[in-house]
Amino acid sequence: MKSALPLAFLASALFAAPALAAGAADQISVVDPYVRMAPPGAQATGAFMLLKNGGDKDVAAVKASSAAAKVTELHTHINDGGVMRMRQVKEIVVPARGETALKPGGYHVMLIDMKAPLKEGDHVMITLGFADGSSKEVHAMVQKPMAAMPMQGMDHGKMKH
Amino acid sequence: MRALLIALNILLLLAIFGVALFWHPAADEAPLPGLPRVVADVPLADLPMGGDFTLDGPRGAVSLSDYRGRLVLLQFGYTYCPDICPTALTIIADALAGLTAAERARVQALFVSVDPERDTVARLAEYTAFFHPDIVGLTGPNPRLAEIASRYGAVFVRQDDASAGGYVIDHTALTYLIDGEGRLVASLPHATPAPQLLAEMRKHLPTH
Repeated sequence: MKSALPLAFLASALFAAPALAAGAADQISVVDPYVRMAPPGAQATGAFMLLKNGGDKDVAAVKASSAAAKVTELHTHINDGGVMRMRQVKEIVVPARGETALKPGGYHVMLIDMKAPLKEGDHVMITLGFADGSSKEVHAMVQKPMAAMPMQGMDHGKMKH
Repeated sequence: MRALLIALNILLLLAIFGVALFWHPAADEAPLPGLPRVVADVPLADLPMGGDFTLDGPRGAVSLSDYRGRLVLLQFGYTYCPDICPTALTIIADALAGLTAAERARVQALFVSVDPERDTVARLAEYTAFFHPDIVGLTGPNPRLAEIASRYGAVFVRQDDASAGGYVIDHTALTYLIDGEGRLVASLPHATPAPQLLAEMRKHLPTH
């Protein structure tokens, strides 16, 4: 019976730990969020960012909202042999101790029916909602469209940007 | 001491079970069920036939054959396309910007909207100019677009319930290169980096 106490203590410590952790939102850090500046007259644009999960459990973003748009959805693209199919997704999972990129051609937050045209440098607040009900405010700046891939091996000095 | 060892052993076992319970290796993105698979990344020798077409441009009818002697970049899309088309047109704009003035005079980029219901030629002109002033936006009646797309191995399928933001159009996001004789000579996958597109363009630039 002498061994039971430390065992019980350790076991309870092990199982209690996750319960002590705060909401999923606290595990997530958001890196380099931005909204892509939409061409004139465009009704929708995407917000992109890197989501990092510092916690020991997978975290699922299940919704997004923003005052900048009438509708905000989580989307992805499926590249089906060269055909790009955009679809709404129920969740974007960020693996434990891992990261998930929201980037052009893949996962993104879709801002649909923007209330006012977004200009370069505008600030857009986006609220990401997670499966456990917690949420996180993301402060994204509007940027001009950039190529999805880095311009490797290109002499930028010669380019008109 | 013995008790501690047992406790540690049990803890280790619990940790292993814990990992087994909570570890979900990231599953590969599975294609959505029910969608036909389309093969588009074909070897160069098996490129679709391509060929001439006539569509509506900002100043009336525009034919591919109007650009004989120029390398044509052809991109299908639509202006309500929130991500794929801006990415493709940004890459095309970057590649155009990488050309010398003399080279640029021998290149024409065309953006063909497969959404004539929403994309007027005026709207298209405003849209393409946002990316680069040299990109010309074209569209036309749906049956004609479908006929042209089929010759280029492209598909477009309207999806009414993919988003609350109105319908979206699944579409081939390849960038086609058509040489100075009007022949389809290359099709590059979506998001091919601009330097690679530029190199491919220089390979096929008409010499005079």
